[in-house]
Amino acid sequence: MKINKQAKREAKELFRLCLVNGLLDEQRVRQVAQRVAAARHRDSPAILSHFGRLVRLDLARHTATIESAAPLPADLQAAVEAGLGRRYGPGLTTAFAHRAALIGGMRIQVGSDVYDGSVRAGLAALENSF
Amino acid sequence: MNVLLLAAQVLAAEVGVNTEPPERIVATFGVDWPHLLAQIASFCIVCFVLYRFAYGPVLKMLEVRRQQIAQGLANAEQIKAELARTEAQRQEVMAQAGVQANKFIEEARAAAARLREEETQKAIGAAEQIIVKAREAAAQEHDRMLGELKREVGRLVVQATTTVTGKILTSEDQRRLAEETAKQVTTSP
Repeated sequence: MKINKQAKREAKELFRLCLVNGLLDEQRVRQVAQRVAAARHRDSPAILSHFGRLVRLDLARHTATIESAAPLPADLQAAVEAGLGRRYGPGLTTAFAHRAALIGGMRIQVGSDVYDGSVRAGLAALENSF
Repeated sequence: MNVLLLAAQVLAAEVGVNTEPPERIVATFGVDWPHLLAQIASFCIVCFVLYRFAYGPVLKMLEVRRQQIAQGLANAEQIKAELARTEAQRQEVMAQAGVQANKFIEEARAAAARLREEETQKAIGAAEQIIVKAREAAAQEHDRMLGELKREVGRLVVQATTTVTGKILTSEDQRRLAEETAKQVTTSP
């Protein structure tokens, strides 16, 4: 779908209306989506598409995926969440996952930021160095 | 008639015989003057006719034939001389051609030697280039094989490490590694 500049601008404005104290309000997002869909405007599909993309990006920016080779103890999980909260601020959603393929260590991804201290990453770097 | 009588008298005087009167001599020989004159006239006529219609054309024909033979001989001499001159020219041309041919042969030999030398130099240059390219190709192949070997060794090392590491890492090791990553989050810029 081709999205024109006007639709992008309006989608961005709607996205700003959904922010409360810098955080995305889920209720407002639903309301905006319903209003736009009900308006049946010519640019409604394009606006909704770009609006959804902005929402997905914001969710990715505020979602931390923590993968570890072995299940993390509760105290360590709390320490990681605290560290991420200090770095990315409040409103960050964390998701812990067990991934044995990492062999050892932990891999954290927040948006486009990746902190990979796993053994798998070290071995991949070693393999690439040959 | 008078001439004949005079001649008879002169002859008789020279031989010392007695001369007799001419009329007696003519009578003795039975000369019939009219008959003699007629014979002389007919003889002259015959001589004239023969000379006019027989000897003349024959002599003329013989003269023409003689001139033709002389012309033929002269032509033959001329042809012979021309042939000799032509032969001399031929010999001269042959000699010049021989000299020219020798000159061409020498030039051709020199050109062939020069061309052979040039081709030899070209072949040497081409061979050197081939050798250089072959060395470069061998070096590239060596580097490529070395790289592949390194990658293969690295892959085997990683595979072996992957197999072994998961088994030997203790829970303390896992925790330590996770803490290092968590510290990385807080300390990274």
